[in-house]
Amino acid sequence: MAKVIETIKMKTVDAPWFLIYRRKSENIFVRLLMYTMLINIAYIFLYPVFYMISTSMMTIDDFVDPAVYWIPRTVNWANFTMSLEAMRYWYSLGNSTYIALLSAVGQLVSCAMAGYGFGRIKFPGREFLFMLVIFTFIVPPQTIIVPLFILYKNLGWIDTYNPFVVPSFFAHGLRGSLFILIFRQFFRRQPWELEDAARVDGCGALRTFATIFLPLAKPALLVVFLFSVVWHWNDFYEPTMYLMKPDKYTVPLRLSILSTSLQEVMGGSNEFYNEPLVMAACFLVVLPPLLLYIFAQRHFTESVERTGLVD
Amino acid sequence: MKLTLAHRRALQGLMFITPWLMGFALFIADPFIRSFQLTFHKVEMMDGFSLAWVGYANYVEAFTIDIDFVPQLLRVLRNMVVELPVIMVFALVVAYLTNQKIRGRTLFRAVFFLPVVIASGLVIQQLNSQGVGTIIDQSATSGMTGIDLTDLLYQYLPEFMATSVAQVINRLQLVLWRSGIQILLFLAGLQGISTTLYEAAKVDGATEWELFWKVTLPNLSPVILVNAIYTVVDSFTDALNPMLNLIRNRAFSGQFRLGYAAALGWVYFAVIFLIILLIWGTSKKWVFYGGERN
Repeated sequence: MAKVIETIKMKTVDAPWFLIYRRKSENIFVRLLMYTMLINIAYIFLYPVFYMISTSMMTIDDFVDPAVYWIPRTVNWANFTMSLEAMRYWYSLGNSTYIALLSAVGQLVSCAMAGYGFGRIKFPGREFLFMLVIFTFIVPPQTIIVPLFILYKNLGWIDTYNPFVVPSFFAHGLRGSLFILIFRQFFRRQPWELEDAARVDGCGALRTFATIFLPLAKPALLVVFLFSVVWHWNDFYEPTMYLMKPDKYTVPLRLSILSTSLQEVMGGSNEFYNEPLVMAACFLVVLPPLLLYIFAQRHFTESVERTGLVD
Repeated sequence: MKLTLAHRRALQGLMFITPWLMGFALFIADPFIRSFQLTFHKVEMMDGFSLAWVGYANYVEAFTIDIDFVPQLLRVLRNMVVELPVIMVFALVVAYLTNQKIRGRTLFRAVFFLPVVIASGLVIQQLNSQGVGTIIDQSATSGMTGIDLTDLLYQYLPEFMATSVAQVINRLQLVLWRSGIQILLFLAGLQGISTTLYEAAKVDGATEWELFWKVTLPNLSPVILVNAIYTVVDSFTDALNPMLNLIRNRAFSGQFRLGYAAALGWVYFAVIFLIILLIWGTSKKWVFYGGERN
């Protein structure tokens, strides 16, 4: 056997080393190509972030000067201090956090329950009801926004956070149907003996779910939580519909009135409103989800693999 | 009363989905039907809301009088036709690359998923207005070749297609930024393909190229279907989508024409629904469900 391997090695050595086709990923050309592509694509993806950070620290003189590329001559923190003030950042951060966290918790609980019901329990009409979940996903918010607005107005929910939080606790809200789908896929992959064992031990359905399946579902819970927080944070279509008073504004909504609120803060002058300042404000908007993502990234990528999003 | 096991299970199932069912009735089904009724009415707002029947007038107006609606709708559709394959191919390539055994792949994955986390609608609008979306166009055309790509497009494509392609290229940056979820789903799909299939094919002498077309792609086709539908829905509700603003402006700025806006929303929904039905309908021809043989 060893001799055979020896002869094979001898034969392949005749060819120049870079032409030896071993495994695809070991071929140096293929590897170089893959890295080149990945690095290029990564650059495309990171460019807006780099642009945001770099521009946010420029003065307007640096910004219009074509000689200044990426690195500003002087770091201009004033863009940030002015944006913080104009956006009433810490105050609206509280509003955003309230909506994002409460809605995410609501969706976690209710979507996990619905996902468990659809994925693990057979009941008549299940397939039809599940079609309705998919249907919910494809109905654009624009189609139902008018009656919803009327409903919330009649309930007195305009300028409150109920339009975001309450539907979340009923497994709806922002992309709730997608979360039901994720949980359903996850629960379906668990071994079926779990329920039998629980039933033998005299465990009721709710307890089986709460004490056996929820702890198992940590990866799915993490993925859904991150998605939910981030999407609620970034959402702006619905907040612009239901929030009228600037007091109630979320951080992204503050961005939309940046020009006027800066004017107020700066005593009527609008000379400070320029591209670098807008980028500073944008960076402040994306910073909290960015930090959350950097913090949860490792767990997140692992979780996605274990969730089995697609089967 | 003693219930059979099947009955008890059915009740338990209903119990788990009750919150969802209530939410569905309140926040989806009811507004959905109401909005359909609204499309045939003129809504007047004094103290409360009062309805006046107008028949098909709102729909007639949308298609014959409103100078923005039909052109906007067509533009959105054309953009989607161009964007859909771009996003799908791009997401598949990225997922395939980051699924290889190479160094730093977790880092790359983290980068490619970044836009999903920070792509706030308003932030994207700002970036777009500062020209960040055009970075690829600049370097690819003027910098490297000196050829104006847009000119070429108009030379070789019919005008209505060239406009859409040029528009997509102009904001390719931000179009690609929308492929995060699709990359994620493709990645999960790739990891779900059993390695025994690859081993068996390799024993039969298949090359990497053949493996991709004969093993990877067919096994990935269910994910392709899911991704196509997701992309369509996502691009129809995207923050940069002009229809969003159009409907909101008709409803809430100025005249407060809620009935008319509801009609626009319904036409919009009908279009999306038809496209998804189309994708779904053809899927039987090209989606391969390997796991459902027995």
